[in-house]
Amino acid sequence: MLTFVVRRLLLAVPVLLGVVFVVMLTVDLLPGDAVALMLGEHATPDAVARLRDHLGLDKPFLVRYLDYVSRVARGDLGRSIQQNRPVAAELADAWPATLELTLAALLVAAVAGIAAGVASAVWPNSFFDAVARLGSLFGLSMPIFWTGLVLIVVFSLWLNWLPVGGAGSLAHLVLPAVTLALPSVAMVSRMTRSAVLDVLREDYVRTARAKGLGEVWVLGRHTLRNAFIPILTLLGLQSGQLMGGAVLTETVFAWPGLGRLMVKAIFARDYVLLQGAVLVFALAFVVVNLLVDLSYGLLDPRVGRQG
Amino acid sequence: MSAWARFRRNRLALLGLALVVVLALSAALAPWLAPHDPARQSLIEKRATPGGKYLLGADEFGRDILSRVIYGSRVALLVGLLSAAIAVLGGLLLGTVAGFTGGWLDAVLMRGIEILLAFPYLLLALAIVAALGPGALNTTIAVGIWGVPAVTRIVRGSVLALRETEYVGAARALGAPAPALLGRHILPNIIPGLIVYATLSFLGLGVQPPTASWGLMVSTGRDVLLIAPHVATVPGLAIMVAVLAFNLVGDGLRDALDPRLRGHA
Amino acid sequence: MRSLGSRLLVGVLVLGLAAALVPAADAQKRGGTLTIVRPTDPVSLDPNLETTAPGAWVYFNMLEGLLTLDDKMQVKPALATSYEVMSPTKVRFKLRPNVRFHDGTPFNAEAVRFTFDRALKGSPPARWASLAGSLSHAEVVDNLTVDVVTKEPYGPILRTLAMYCMGIVSPTAVKKLGQDFSRAPVGTGPFKFVEWKTNTHVIIERNSDYWGDKALVDRIVFKVVPEEGARMIALQTGDADMVLFPSPAQLPALRKDAKFTVHETTGIRVVFAGLHAGLPPLDDVRVRQALLHAVDRKAILDNIMEGSAGPARGVLAPGVFGYKDMQLDTLYPFDRARARALLAQAGWTPGADGVMQKGGQRLSLSWLTARGRYPKDGEITEAIQAMFKEVGVEARVQVLEWAAVFQQVRGNPLNHHMFTLGWVTSNADADYSLYALFHSKQAPPAGWNTSRYANARIDTLVEQARRSLNQTEREKLYGEVQDILAREMVWIPVYTTKEIIAARAAVKGFQIHPVEYNLALWKTWLDR
Repeated sequence: MLTFVVRRLLLAVPVLLGVVFVVMLTVDLLPGDAVALMLGEHATPDAVARLRDHLGLDKPFLVRYLDYVSRVARGDLGRSIQQNRPVAAELADAWPATLELTLAALLVAAVAGIAAGVASAVWPNSFFDAVARLGSLFGLSMPIFWTGLVLIVVFSLWLNWLPVGGAGSLAHLVLPAVTLALPSVAMVSRMTRSAVLDVLREDYVRTARAKGLGEVWVLGRHTLRNAFIPILTLLGLQSGQLMGGAVLTETVFAWPGLGRLMVKAIFARDYVLLQGAVLVFALAFVVVNLLVDLSYGLLDPRVGRQG
Repeated sequence: MSAWARFRRNRLALLGLALVVVLALSAALAPWLAPHDPARQSLIEKRATPGGKYLLGADEFGRDILSRVIYGSRVALLVGLLSAAIAVLGGLLLGTVAGFTGGWLDAVLMRGIEILLAFPYLLLALAIVAALGPGALNTTIAVGIWGVPAVTRIVRGSVLALRETEYVGAARALGAPAPALLGRHILPNIIPGLIVYATLSFLGLGVQPPTASWGLMVSTGRDVLLIAPHVATVPGLAIMVAVLAFNLVGDGLRDALDPRLRGHA
Repeated sequence: MRSLGSRLLVGVLVLGLAAALVPAADAQKRGGTLTIVRPTDPVSLDPNLETTAPGAWVYFNMLEGLLTLDDKMQVKPALATSYEVMSPTKVRFKLRPNVRFHDGTPFNAEAVRFTFDRALKGSPPARWASLAGSLSHAEVVDNLTVDVVTKEPYGPILRTLAMYCMGIVSPTAVKKLGQDFSRAPVGTGPFKFVEWKTNTHVIIERNSDYWGDKALVDRIVFKVVPEEGARMIALQTGDADMVLFPSPAQLPALRKDAKFTVHETTGIRVVFAGLHAGLPPLDDVRVRQALLHAVDRKAILDNIMEGSAGPARGVLAPGVFGYKDMQLDTLYPFDRARARALLAQAGWTPGADGVMQKGGQRLSLSWLTARGRYPKDGEITEAIQAMFKEVGVEARVQVLEWAAVFQQVRGNPLNHHMFTLGWVTSNADADYSLYALFHSKQAPPAGWNTSRYANARIDTLVEQARRSLNQTEREKLYGEVQDILAREMVWIPVYTTKEIIAARAAVKGFQIHPVEYNLALWKTWLDR
């Protein structure tokens, strides 16, 4: 098992190197130049050249790439081109916000999704079940920006219960977290419902029921534990989705996290900052994937190593 | 009972199918269905409320929203289908190669996939637009490429499972006739594709003016949400209904094709 | 020399009078925190690194230059009390005594010299270096006298020194803080820095040791709220006292509501559709003029800008020194028939699909724009695209992100016919705009002649006007430049920005400034 973890972590390194390479290359190939953009109407060729030289942006691509990689290996993420501030500081300001949002969304997805799914499975084809399933379908069909807009209109503009954007309090977290979580709630609840129903049909459950053991016991001890595997796997996969969705959610709600930082960096061609943000995301992805695979392998003995 | 019979009995799935047909018809018959020229501006009538001359109201340029939504379905359908096709073709190819050859090629491909997954898709879209020029087609290609990793993983997983002959379900998926393939792979990829495209056009990429695009309509309608909510709401509903329709059909297909789920219907 | 002497006298008198005029204070209340919301966070609070509004709004209240521009666009003394033109390339300034920086160190000629050297010779070079024209350096004459030296005679020198980004910084603080100075600047202004939480807020507080009229509020908090709707909500709920970049659609309602005050004035930025005068068919002046007749500028102002912008009266904004009303509404009224007639004169006739054609070529123009870089830039482009269609001109609009548009417009060659841009005359002197925008040698990337327009007479005029220190003569020269441009029309000016700030009625004493960067908050007080 340890070798598996170590091997996967080692395999992550070329992924990270690759991501940095591709990001850097892409930004280079995109039209638009960070320095000229910054200088705006003060961008005379002389001023641009001087600033680019000062920032070391004129060196050839491979030189800059290797330079960056070696600095990152030593822990230096460089300075943001537009902000002239250490990237590490920018990231440090932003990542807790994204973590907060993602965890909150995961929590909402897990709690609401599992609860809805279990209830749906326990009372199949009831009114609640129908509502829940329809709700799931809607949840899966609404793009994040649309959900966000609707929620803002209803809860901020009409009812004035919650703030429209920004961060700062729990109230600020509610709408973005719910928006981000919605597709996941839908998926988790559907998956939970079918997984629980599957288990409830198993023979040993029927046996337990026949033996006269209480409904709660049946539900608690056997059903959930066995249904848990696919649910957990799904949650793990959803974490990846949530991190990706965080980017858009942060933009819609002006949530000061990594996603918003990344979007701003892309539009400003600030590749140093962008790479830092992408590295954090990529690292998170790798870790989450690893955990998912580990748990999958651990919890379900039927599955062999898939490398 | 045949799969089609099972599908027919599922009312929600039928509803979805009906909606998809409406979408397709609206796209095909747009010039005849649309009451007004979707690009015709009448600044004086900006943000006209629904009713009367403009059934669903007018946008900030005084253009008929209903007509623009109808024409917008062309783009939506094109994007949905084309991006799904790209994602599936790309994913099938890569996934099969990775699954069958194994070894170092598999490892390299999977790392490549992970890199692509970690790559911010906004950047990807911008890069493609920069390389190929702005427009719906090129943004669609970006969306399609975005979908490739997900499909690759699924296909690879199925191939690997097939090789280990542990999952009969997966074997069936690969060897099964077209409808199953449709249900399993393509449809699930239309949905996120549509959403991603709407998101990208919301952010400003995609069709160029004066072509109508639902995502862009929602985006520009955002500023006047308080005073003219219909400008953003109507196209937003269109997006939702379209995606919902595909979801319903997809669910219906899945339920119809997989007897194990029969009891859940 | 006689003219120099009389100029000296006038200079001293004007400055002296101006300095003596202190506005009468009414029953103001002291104290409180003013909360301001705006769309973006600054990149830096150091004028050398940040010349755009988000940073300028903040540091304008913390740093002061030798001169300043008041809200009537007149040059007024700030840290300098008088000036004397010593030679065409040297102006001597007498500095205000007993002024201290926020860190307690004294303000003196050495600080001025240090600031200029840091900006013009430092590393990284100042963002505004190109704005400063031929400004060379400052020389210390004595502790309170400094000479500002230019490389060549430079007519706009005074207005350049009065720019918002010419604040004098504390040499001690710069040396002590190094790069962190850009996050916590130290100047002499009525407010001093407190804290900056990235992407959240910047806080400044009243400087109780300020040399002039001390500020009335205790603190100002600049918050970042990117969503326009969210900013307006904050204003409604009282979370914010002032909104920068309010939503134009909500302004009519706010103006009628006694709980709010809408401050507005014509600004100095012109947003226009630029025409590539070097790319056929736009090299034909008749075609360009036809395009102007095809645009219903009033409809755009009324329905798209909805009162949030003023009509464009030319290539410059009123308030800029040297501005002349180009009489666009008289010369180029909205007249489709006239547009078609001009096109016909130029040899264009309607083709089968309604688009004008000539010799097998369709009148199809490619047009680059961004969305959201300037207010409603995308929208006015789309509106004009539709208006062009009505006279048989096809405009193929490409909406790209600003970085891409910027790159292309600044690139050489430019393969597009039109582009939507804005231009602000940063130092409120016609030289800044007319030279960079229309001198034939200022085609990108050297300058900003994005229309790639070449006219020898204009070249001579703007060169002459730049070197002259006689303001009357300069005004006349610029008038002639604008007359020529009125005939040649290499732009379709669409609107002049209005500076609009929405505030709660409790915010009193605030005077809005035509220059968006000059957000003066020291006379503002809170009635609550």
